[in-house]
Amino acid sequence: MIVRGVLAVLLLATSSAFADAPSPFNMSTEKPAAAPAQPEPGSATVQPAPAPGATKPAPAPAAQPAQTPAAPAPASAQPAVVAAQPTPTQAISRRYLLPFENMVFSGESTQRAWTLYLTPEQASSRASLNLGYQNAVIVAPESSRLRLTINGKAVVDIPIASSDNPSALKFPVPAGLLHAGMNEVAVSAVQRHRTDCTIESTYELWTQIDSASTYLSFEDPEAGRWRRIEDVRAIGADAKGSTTFNLIVPAMEQTGSAAPLVRLAEALALMANMPNQSFEISEQARGMPRPGAVNVVVGSASEIAEKLEKLPEGAQVSPTSAIVDDPKLGPSTVVITGPNWQAVEQAIEDIARPVDRPVASQRVVLATRNWRLPETPMVLAARHLKFSDLGVSTQEFSGRRLRTEFNVGIPSDFYANAYGQAMILLDAAYSQDVLPGSHIDIYVNDNIAATVPITTSGGEILRHLPIKVTMRHFRPGDNSVAIEAVLLTQADATCAPGATGLQDKRFVLFDSSELVMPDFARIGRTPNLSAVSGTGFPYNRADYSLPLIFERTQPEAMSAATTLMAQMSVAAGRLIPVDTAVSPAAVMDRNAVFVGAIPTVPSAVLAELGITSNVASKWGEAVASNQPNTDTTFDEWRQKLRGSGWRGQVSSFEDWMNRTFNISMNSFRLLPGRDPDFTPSNGSTLLVAQKKSPTGEGSWTLVTAPSPATLQQGMRTLAQQDVWRQLGGRIATIDGASSKVAQVPVSSFEFVETEPFSLQNYRLIIANWLSANALAYALVLICLSIALGLATARLLGSLGRKQ
Amino acid sequence: MRKFLTVILWALGSMAVLGLVTLPISLDTQLIAGLSVLIAMMILKLVRPDGIWRLIALAFGTAIVMRYVYWRTTSTLPPLNQPENFIPGFLLYLAELYSVMMLALSLFVVAQPLPPRPSRANSNDRHPTVDVFIPTYNEEPELLANTMAAAKGMDYPQDRVTIWLLDDGGTVQKRNSEKIADANKAERRHAELRKLAEDLGVRYLTRERNEHAKAGNMNNGLQHSTGELIAVFDADHAPARDFLKETVGYFDEDPRLFLVQTPHFFLNPDPVERNLRTFEKMPSENEMFYGIIQRGLDKWNASFFCGSAAVLRRQALLETNGFSGVSITEDCETAVELHSRGWNSVYVDKPLIAGLQPATFASFIGQRSRWAQGMMQILRFRFPPLKRGLSFPQRLCYMSSTLFWLFPFPRTIFLFAPLFYLFFDLQIFTASGGEFMAYTLAYMIVNLMMQNYLYGAFRWPWVSELYEYVQTVHLLPAVVSVILNPSKPTFKVTAKDESIDKSRLSEISRPFFVIFALLLVGVAMTVYKVYAEPYKADVTLVVGGWNLLNLIMAGCALGVVSERGEKAATRRVKVSRRCDFELNGKWLQATIENVSANGARVQVIDAELEDLAKDARAGIRFKTFAVGAEGILPVTIRNFERTSDGIAVGCLYMPEKAEHHRLVADLIFANSKQWEQFQLSRRGNPGLLRGTAWFLRLAIFQTYRGLVYLLRDWRGTGRIAPVAQTTGQRS
Repeated sequence: MIVRGVLAVLLLATSSAFADAPSPFNMSTEKPAAAPAQPEPGSATVQPAPAPGATKPAPAPAAQPAQTPAAPAPASAQPAVVAAQPTPTQAISRRYLLPFENMVFSGESTQRAWTLYLTPEQASSRASLNLGYQNAVIVAPESSRLRLTINGKAVVDIPIASSDNPSALKFPVPAGLLHAGMNEVAVSAVQRHRTDCTIESTYELWTQIDSASTYLSFEDPEAGRWRRIEDVRAIGADAKGSTTFNLIVPAMEQTGSAAPLVRLAEALALMANMPNQSFEISEQARGMPRPGAVNVVVGSASEIAEKLEKLPEGAQVSPTSAIVDDPKLGPSTVVITGPNWQAVEQAIEDIARPVDRPVASQRVVLATRNWRLPETPMVLAARHLKFSDLGVSTQEFSGRRLRTEFNVGIPSDFYANAYGQAMILLDAAYSQDVLPGSHIDIYVNDNIAATVPITTSGGEILRHLPIKVTMRHFRPGDNSVAIEAVLLTQADATCAPGATGLQDKRFVLFDSSELVMPDFARIGRTPNLSAVSGTGFPYNRADYSLPLIFERTQPEAMSAATTLMAQMSVAAGRLIPVDTAVSPAAVMDRNAVFVGAIPTVPSAVLAELGITSNVASKWGEAVASNQPNTDTTFDEWRQKLRGSGWRGQVSSFEDWMNRTFNISMNSFRLLPGRDPDFTPSNGSTLLVAQKKSPTGEGSWTLVTAPSPATLQQGMRTLAQQDVWRQLGGRIATIDGASSKVAQVPVSSFEFVETEPFSLQNYRLIIANWLSANALAYALVLICLSIALGLATARLLGSLGRKQ
Repeated sequence: MRKFLTVILWALGSMAVLGLVTLPISLDTQLIAGLSVLIAMMILKLVRPDGIWRLIALAFGTAIVMRYVYWRTTSTLPPLNQPENFIPGFLLYLAELYSVMMLALSLFVVAQPLPPRPSRANSNDRHPTVDVFIPTYNEEPELLANTMAAAKGMDYPQDRVTIWLLDDGGTVQKRNSEKIADANKAERRHAELRKLAEDLGVRYLTRERNEHAKAGNMNNGLQHSTGELIAVFDADHAPARDFLKETVGYFDEDPRLFLVQTPHFFLNPDPVERNLRTFEKMPSENEMFYGIIQRGLDKWNASFFCGSAAVLRRQALLETNGFSGVSITEDCETAVELHSRGWNSVYVDKPLIAGLQPATFASFIGQRSRWAQGMMQILRFRFPPLKRGLSFPQRLCYMSSTLFWLFPFPRTIFLFAPLFYLFFDLQIFTASGGEFMAYTLAYMIVNLMMQNYLYGAFRWPWVSELYEYVQTVHLLPAVVSVILNPSKPTFKVTAKDESIDKSRLSEISRPFFVIFALLLVGVAMTVYKVYAEPYKADVTLVVGGWNLLNLIMAGCALGVVSERGEKAATRRVKVSRRCDFELNGKWLQATIENVSANGARVQVIDAELEDLAKDARAGIRFKTFAVGAEGILPVTIRNFERTSDGIAVGCLYMPEKAEHHRLVADLIFANSKQWEQFQLSRRGNPGLLRGTAWFLRLAIFQTYRGLVYLLRDWRGTGRIAPVAQTTGQRS
């Protein structure tokens, strides 16, 4: 029961996280600074909903009576009323479609694709698609459409007309469309405002797909039953978009069991490769499996005998891994066992080996297919990437704000954020309707990185127009690059009735455009949590087993450590071998990861990582509350009062200077000062800190929380893809209430060599360092110039005539 | 070995700076670095702008310039697939690269100009024989008389020096011209000059045919003379008494010396100085060349022959069969040839001759066209950068001297580039407002500061740009024509003694007004665009600012081509010399206050007004610099006025005999000190800010003056006294 309670709290926390956190699909955070957040007064919008998901009612569960859409549905897809509460059998014959909870399509044209791994049984069963969605009131049904394709064939193609209540629709999936293994699901939404033609109005358009009522249901009740270990890949997500592995390990407190367990978790995580995965390790079973959750029993035959009704065959004799149906643990229970722990380890190794990647082989792509297609290509050196290969197709567009995104992967030793410039060679065209003053903006990770104004009227074809894109906002791992064309026309200025839905093509983006990545400086740095987030660096490439130190007696700590290592392995794209049998004293010169509630973390480790020593007694005394954060409120007020009066003019010049030159006091600092010790605020529930090891070249990372329970819960939050990707700086804390990640920026760091020495690379490293330390550059330039002046004087003294 | 180490050290230093400036650093770092360097340069300028500090400041500037070039090359060129942008953009880029290359060459040339040498005037124990050549073609006899008299008056043993008047206007060919009027004129000239030369003790020489212009004339002189050294004076360049004393000594110190060149000092302003009224306060245009560049060239043994005011060694000239005549600038060409044969040159930085320069804008342009075309011919036929025998520094020096004359091309491009954007919307320079601030602005300021460091006291801010612009308009076709047809241009003698009796527009002023109007439309276009197309106002403002700069320059040039009416043909030089003034047979004590080539102003003590009458004859008696001699110079009185000490009398020389010419020459030319003092009085560095403010004021006023002249020209009246002549009335 306690576990249930924790889960409920956790789920609540998660859902509120989605409500507040800037999720990658919430376009409201990506507005250019110029666009006012509020709709124009007097505009015909019914509901001022700037941030979808924040103000509207929570999506209704599938149990609520569903409703037929107002507009007539296409003949191919006859919507039907969906049945209520799923029974257990129905539950496993159900496959939730969305890889995470809230999928919001905002703006005039949005699409997203991902893959769905199905077992052969699922693929061969007759299936239907259930779809639940709701949209903003101002979306005009007659000119807005929602389409869902599976393997390229349209399954859903309906007008968007569900503004009053969430609708739950059912569509038959044509026989033979699904196949075993990967299936591509693509959803696109074209939305137009009912009355408003302004750019601002496009930010109010949203359609939200409800994860709980959007799933494939298989007619064959046995379709969801697994037959083989590989079927773990088909685990999918639950109604809330999370994936949970319940590891049942009766011998979890044994010394030798921890490392194999972590390895198993890493292997399972790599196999399933879902965006929000977590591991819960316990001695006891926690209930029946559901979609997106699986029970995994691990132990020697004798240990697990009493947990299972019946041991799999051969368990007493040799390493065994099998899928069993168990009355207590439910169908599709994974059992990994053997006569003794050596055999169990062997069985784990048999599962792990096929999913591992040797350290020397470089990744070509980041495996993001289960939540985003196409998979993100890794860019390790100068490279031209065609838009067609990045998943951006040629798009003709008739609206006012076209936004399209692609992703690129950056290695963890990327060190060009201060000087680097990538280039987009844009192939596009705009019609004579487009007025000067329109512009094309490039965003990197939702930060504006370039703006190209359209300055000529009468239409133009842009052929490989070079756009310089600053690399300041790139970070290790995958990065989203968005191209947004903001198009003004005379027709929009007039905005006659019906103008919003006009189909005249104004703009076209061709897939022959290219992203040109230059050679960039590559050197690792420590501390740098964003490298951990991006590719698990530096732990992804060490040549020894990573010392992983946690309190073995606490299942929560062990779950957190396992979840962390699994998440890190997914980021790294390979298994990270761990060594759980070392003491903190033995790792002074090596990499190490510490996971534990604050009272169990040695104070020496805290001191080494720059965390206040008495934090152990104080942190977490007050339970995470919803008290507003002073800093945030202050910022909001400052934002609100900006730009009025002459002081506003001055500060807008200041803004221009800041935007253009990015000069801060840091630019004028010559030597980094010592970082002050950090004290986590009481609102934060998890703290991640990194620092160079006391001696040697290692890098220490600590994950801690006030208590074991908050540790496990916080780690679960951290393991969500969108939270995980916010990790960065030298210390990051997660706010318990909002799931927001706060970073303490790195001020002093040490380099970790990752590439063999090359003059070219060092030149770029120096360029980046000097770009980040502008005053140092000026000083070096002045010193060298003085030296050159003196040398010239000497030279002139010895050459030519003297008198 | 030590030298080698020094070179290695310097090379390492350069490599380090080069490596640093070619790092792809961020915009904000560039901004901070640029500001820091600017501040450092300013501080150095205030503290110590000379010696080693000057070199350090120049190294600062070089670093910023190199950063600009790196950035300009790597990130501002328009994409190749937009030829309408790329082609003009690339031309602009080439023009900028040319400017940077010329800056680099100038840096090399004037890195450390040689300090003035100690005078050799009293060290001559040997007096080699000297032939003095005065080549003439069509100059007036009075002018020649002054020059010959001054040459004759040089302080040198009379038996060791022979003066030759080389007359190309009275050749047999000319005298037998088919046109009877020309033939008669040549015959008269021949006889007159022959008589004048005889009277002054000068040898008159002419020849059969006018072949190879000035070079041929002087080679003819070479054939008829025997002196060890040859001194050359243009017909209007009169030497001071100490000319030979100061120059001949060097030839004994270095047996391989072929040339001692001295500066050209002018008694009258060039048309720019005259029309802008800067002659008295601002250093002349050529002072930068003679005051800094020739000294810089001298450091690298590359100072070259400038056609006059120089002494050459006959032995060296014979090696090349006299003066070279392939190009129309035989002087520089001869120097290149002899330098490449291992002969040396020396430059003496002391004005030892005084001469005249073109007075009208048209003849000024004619002279510059000849120089530009001649230098292009040298570039084409001799190509100094690859000429065998020249040392590496000499190659660079000659490159600097010849390539300089390509300036009309970049000037034209800079002039029209902004209009491409303003009128046709072409994006020929891809940069944002911030980049422009951090790179281009820093580069421009540093460039101006470096110019100020290099030439500060000799060239005020923006004046180089003005001179280049006013020449560009007419030099561009001249340079293009010589590039297309290198052997076509022929030597044309520059007229220098014209005078402008009334204010008028120059006959070649029209293009300047057309360009001004075009740029003005550009300004209007800027204003229109800023309001009509606010989304690209930043770029429009930057380009419009550039166009405005061009407009200011073009406006100032309107003043240059508006010729002021002048009463005095030549400027007066201040002197202070005791004399006696003869008035109606009485001798009164007097002081000569200033002199010009045509007359003098005398302060007569104890004179009575009623004794004086306009056009009355009078005489001035004074001691000449030649020891013990004294003479009376007849004059007529032009005007007079009462002053606190007596009466100031303006009078006109009335030379009748050779003796009188000698006296005039002695008055004006004998004392070279006075010229030096005059030059020094104009030298002064106003600094970048004050200089810019001054130029701006000047430009605005001159624009106004030019437009008034234009208006008057349209109305067809030219008789009214020009505007703003109030300050400039001289007798």
